[in-house]
Amino acid sequence: MAADPAGVESLMTALTLDHVTKRFGGLVAVQDVTIEIASAHITGLIGPNGAGKTTLFRVISGDVRPSAGRVLCFGRETTGWSPHAVCRLGVCVTHQIVRPFGELTVLENVLVGAAFGSGGRTAGRAARADVEEVLDFTALAPRRDVLASALTLAERKRLEIARALATRPSILLLDEVLAGLTPAETHQAVALVRGIQARGVTIVMIEHVMRAVMDLSDRVLVLNYGRLIADGSPAEVTRNPEVIEAYLGRDSAVAQ
Amino acid sequence: MFSAQNLISVGIAALLTAGLYAIMSYGLAIIYGVMKVINLSHAGFLMLGAFMTLVYFQLWHLDPILGAFLNLPVFFAAGWLVYTTLVRRVITALPIASLLLLFALWLVIQNVALAIWGSDDQSIITAYTYTALPLLGFRIPLTRLLVFGIALIVLTVLHYGLGHTYIGKALRATVQDRQAALLVGIDTEKISAVAFGLGTALAAFAGSLLTLLFSFTPDFGGSFQLKSFTIIVLGGLENLAGVTVGAAILSFAESFAVLFMRASLQNVIAYALLVIALIVMPGGVAQLMTRGRS
Amino acid sequence: MRAARPAALAAIAAAILLALVPVVARGNITLLSLGFFTFLYVAQGVAWNILGGFAGYISFGYAAFFGCGAYTTALLWLGGWAPVATYPVAGIVAALFSLVVGVPTLRLAGPYFSIATIGVGEAMRILALNLDRITGGASGLNLPTVVPSKAWFYTAALVFAAVSFAVAAAVRSSRFGLGLQALRMDQEAAESLGVRTALFKNLAHVLSAFIVGACGGLYATYLQFAHPDSVFSFTESISLVLIALIGGLGTLWGPVLGAAVFYAVQDYLQTSYPTFHLLVYGVLLILILLFEPKGLAGVAGRLWRRTPLAWRA
Repeated sequence: MAADPAGVESLMTALTLDHVTKRFGGLVAVQDVTIEIASAHITGLIGPNGAGKTTLFRVISGDVRPSAGRVLCFGRETTGWSPHAVCRLGVCVTHQIVRPFGELTVLENVLVGAAFGSGGRTAGRAARADVEEVLDFTALAPRRDVLASALTLAERKRLEIARALATRPSILLLDEVLAGLTPAETHQAVALVRGIQARGVTIVMIEHVMRAVMDLSDRVLVLNYGRLIADGSPAEVTRNPEVIEAYLGRDSAVAQ
Repeated sequence: MFSAQNLISVGIAALLTAGLYAIMSYGLAIIYGVMKVINLSHAGFLMLGAFMTLVYFQLWHLDPILGAFLNLPVFFAAGWLVYTTLVRRVITALPIASLLLLFALWLVIQNVALAIWGSDDQSIITAYTYTALPLLGFRIPLTRLLVFGIALIVLTVLHYGLGHTYIGKALRATVQDRQAALLVGIDTEKISAVAFGLGTALAAFAGSLLTLLFSFTPDFGGSFQLKSFTIIVLGGLENLAGVTVGAAILSFAESFAVLFMRASLQNVIAYALLVIALIVMPGGVAQLMTRGRS
Repeated sequence: MRAARPAALAAIAAAILLALVPVVARGNITLLSLGFFTFLYVAQGVAWNILGGFAGYISFGYAAFFGCGAYTTALLWLGGWAPVATYPVAGIVAALFSLVVGVPTLRLAGPYFSIATIGVGEAMRILALNLDRITGGASGLNLPTVVPSKAWFYTAALVFAAVSFAVAAAVRSSRFGLGLQALRMDQEAAESLGVRTALFKNLAHVLSAFIVGACGGLYATYLQFAHPDSVFSFTESISLVLIALIGGLGTLWGPVLGAAVFYAVQDYLQTSYPTFHLLVYGVLLILILLFEPKGLAGVAGRLWRRTPLAWRA
């Protein structure tokens, strides 16, 4: 990548969406969205339910193919790639509804990420070391030999992040990792996200817990009915009249 | 071979078979629709329906057509029982668990039948078995017309029942969206039991009708089972009205294919259609049409 | 991964002991043929489990691979090949055919894959019956009558079973096996963590089809006869499903236990009630699905855990 003549730019821009549209039958879930995500930043992605946020993630991760437009990761076009290829390039997504491998232990769950992600293919001892490191980092080490199906919700959410981290992503897409957590757990999770950013990982997070998004994000994007209606610093976005309108009546406390 | 005369007669045969296919597959479609379970014991109940018709015939000299109707309540009860004692217990597990359970049930039914009736061919000969009626210049076996007519009547009644009774509407609502049905106060658990009973009853009913046309053994039903799958996949799995379309497609494809290939290869058509349909159009024929629109 | 060492040692010890049987009981034809069929089932059940148990794709169509293998061996043997040389070819033909089947059908969700494989299996049987110029059709193919001894077949089947077990054990403890387990539990999640699910499923399918195809070849030489209704039979397909499920789906030892019990019961009941074993198995399968998803291996595991430590040697 460094040899790429466009390298200067791709070092700055981790992820580019170029006029991305996704239609499901007659429904337009994402409409002509163009975004550039700066590397090593936290970008919040907010919007009312059904605004197309998760669909946008699925387009990036390769789960769904966009109806139009292009996706570029580190300057390489990944439109139409399968999810495993996107993951190996260093883009990993966590799922809104956590999906642990229930019959595997916590350690084995994380090992899947380490053995197959972008740092993987080495497997063996190196992967093991990665797993231990990630387990420590996500405070799951004491639970390493427990079956994933026996974890609490907060632990499952951390496992979802741990598994993703084990793939050694350069870009991490977090889909509502804070939803359903108690205030104390939220606090822990926010610290975890900060810690991940500190490692130089680019983070895009979908979140409904506004205080946390506004605290964490360097930049906030707002989707409504599949369109990008605002883009700016947390302060700018909260003052944007279109954003207030989109949220007003739904959850007025949010717009504060 | 391709004379108009010949083509028309093949067409009539295909149409008559389509009626049989539709009634044979409807039970499978109802069960799949309501609980997304592929009923691998369908063939077992089909076969058992045929043998029970034989039993009624031997004991009371009951006509197979009356036997078919007697089978409806008998097998509804059997299906209800199977659902409440077995299927209900694995339905929340992986989808493959219920498939395997019903497969095991098929093995049990088939081998119990083998133990009771042995593997010899059985048949029911009635006064009208060899009667043929002239129609459009062709002589059509009366039994085939009867089967077609009865299938048509039962399917019409069923269609009306599903559209106009509470339980029918509840059942269709559950087919469309189980979660939503539950939210509006439908007892989906009870609907599942009803659906399983109804599906089983229809399988046995079809089995009785088949005794008018074919001889049978405890192995009977395996190929009909696969054909039923082909039909409901062609019809769009969750689309009850699609069953008739699927039945017609399969029956016409088979009937006309015989003009081009060996009759013994006929069943391959159904299996090939099954695999192709599963892969290229999981939404059935209806999906292909809607896809064209969007 | 866990406790790989004792399992491997136990397997090797068992194989060595069993290999000594023909030396001791050379003339005991009943015992040798019991061993032959049991090992043949072990080899196939263990192989089937690589796709069915590890990856969770329940196939009802393995008779297609068994039949492909049987006919490959039959035809090459008639063409003058030595039987032993035909087994790898039988495996390769079956493996290639499994690609033709698997590439489209493994994209389906589990239950639909199962249904599709029933269709493929039965279609193959009917095709084989109709391709009479190749397969002998409904009269089957008579093969050369000069064959090795029963002791040779016993040992050959034991080798097949041992190889199959070793392959399954290697898969299970490998990165490949981890990927299969992950995709069994959640395909989308596995894919998003970098597992090449489509490739892995097909690899598992090809690997197990190869072994089952080679077993088909061995079977054809043993019987000196190949018939579509026998080698492509639905009963052959469901035997493998039953062996793995009753023994313990996805476990290493399950199919071994399952095969041993399966053939013993079948052999015992065969003379008096020809298909009664399938009834027994149907009932067993229902019980297992309701009460013990890990099958006989699960039951054995429980008993083992209840055994006082001192007895475990």
